Amino acid sequence: MVRRIVHARVGSHPSAEDLVQETLTRVLAASATIEPGMLEPYAIVTARNVVASMWRDADRRRRNQHRVVDLSTPDLPDSQVVLDEEQSAMATALARLGERERRTLLEHEVSGTDTHTLAARAGSTAGAVAAQLNRTRARLRVEYVLAAEQAELPTDQCRAVLIALSGGDQRRQREVRAAQHLLECELCARLSEPLLERGQQRDDRLRIPVTADPDIVSARRAARELASRLDFAATDLTVIATAVSEVCRNIVRFAGTGEVVVELLEVPRRGIQVVARDGGPGIPDIDRALDDGFSTYGGLGLGLPGVRRLMDEFAIASEPGHGTTVTMTKWERTHDG
Amino acid sequence: MNGGPALVSIMRQGSTLIASVHTALDDSELVRFEHDLIHQIGEHRSRGVIIDVAALDVIDSFAALTLRRIAEMARLRGALTVLVGIQPEVAFTMVRLGMGTGQVPTALDLEEGLALLAAHPGAGTDSTERDARPGSTP
Repeated sequence: MVRRIVHARVGSHPSAEDLVQETLTRVLAASATIEPGMLEPYAIVTARNVVASMWRDADRRRRNQHRVVDLSTPDLPDSQVVLDEEQSAMATALARLGERERRTLLEHEVSGTDTHTLAARAGSTAGAVAAQLNRTRARLRVEYVLAAEQAELPTDQCRAVLIALSGGDQRRQREVRAAQHLLECELCARLSEPLLERGQQRDDRLRIPVTADPDIVSARRAARELASRLDFAATDLTVIATAVSEVCRNIVRFAGTGEVVVELLEVPRRGIQVVARDGGPGIPDIDRALDDGFSTYGGLGLGLPGVRRLMDEFAIASEPGHGTTVTMTKWERTHDG
Repeated sequence: MNGGPALVSIMRQGSTLIASVHTALDDSELVRFEHDLIHQIGEHRSRGVIIDVAALDVIDSFAALTLRRIAEMARLRGALTVLVGIQPEVAFTMVRLGMGTGQVPTALDLEEGLALLAAHPGAGTDSTERDARPGSTP
């Protein structure tokens, strides 16, 4: 009976079944206080109320959507079609959030309730609420991109990786091995672009995709340029550029595709860190690859062992079938040496 | 070479080829340079080759290998190769990396390089006369 009432009002709306369940729960919860015989009318009224509140929520959400959309989406041509798509994608994304997260987010973004008020109500601190809001926004961005692209994620890891990237949480990104995953998962690599655009504004960190010979030159040039902001001696700049050149060559030659991330460090000392990552076949025998004179392509066999000599810190991790990551650091020295 | 400004220019002076690298080269450009140069050595019957690498900000293992290979091929074609203009930072890095230019002779700059070729029997710029009279080589 309840189902009939709900359906009469919302038709085959996807949430019809939810509404029926909610109505029944409310009726059951209240059944003790309802006079016998009045149960049926009570259920009808409850159903109506539940449906009405859904429309009201949906309406409020629709009216206020633009505020949330602005958080994550780049400017798009102002056509109605795009707007509609955005709205439905945002509605889908919101619907995928947990009930509590959604309510907090909407209250903060839409009704303008500040974090102190929200914290007082939830019995926690403003900082915790803000952190939670950030996590919710990160998730919302991911869900939004997924809904807009109508993408199905191939593995369980994908969502965790995308959320970590979206939130800009570096510790979490390392935990889920986000960078590695992006090299292996084409879909995530594509989806992550709009999510990463927000974080790209940091100018002490550069990410250079490496797939072909010319990328080797642009990567080493970029590394030299970034390094020149610190007090490196001219020799060290050349050393860094050469080391980047060697690791990029390995990416092009053995993996075909990868990336180099160059980052200036402040702690524990000023320096530059280079992480070269690929999703290639991996190195079966790392000790041998680090031997002087060992080469698989008729080179001098000086690539990796040479790089290790050039840099102050050098670490290599490789998993057959899952690619190789070289992490190396050069610390700043103010005098020549 | 590919529409843009030339990455390398190869000039001829007597029986000497002077190849100047103008900008950083990537691996495939290095390989193309290698082919061009070897081809021209044969075409011009050169006895001496000078490669000016002053514009290379990085000589990594592949670049070093390529330069060595060029010199060895040129030798087999009868020409002596001299590398000139290796920058001090580049030299430092090459040593740290554990590589050198092997048997390839080097000189500080173009002038020194030409002098080195001139001093070498059979590779100097005055060797054009001997081209005309083969068999009279001492």
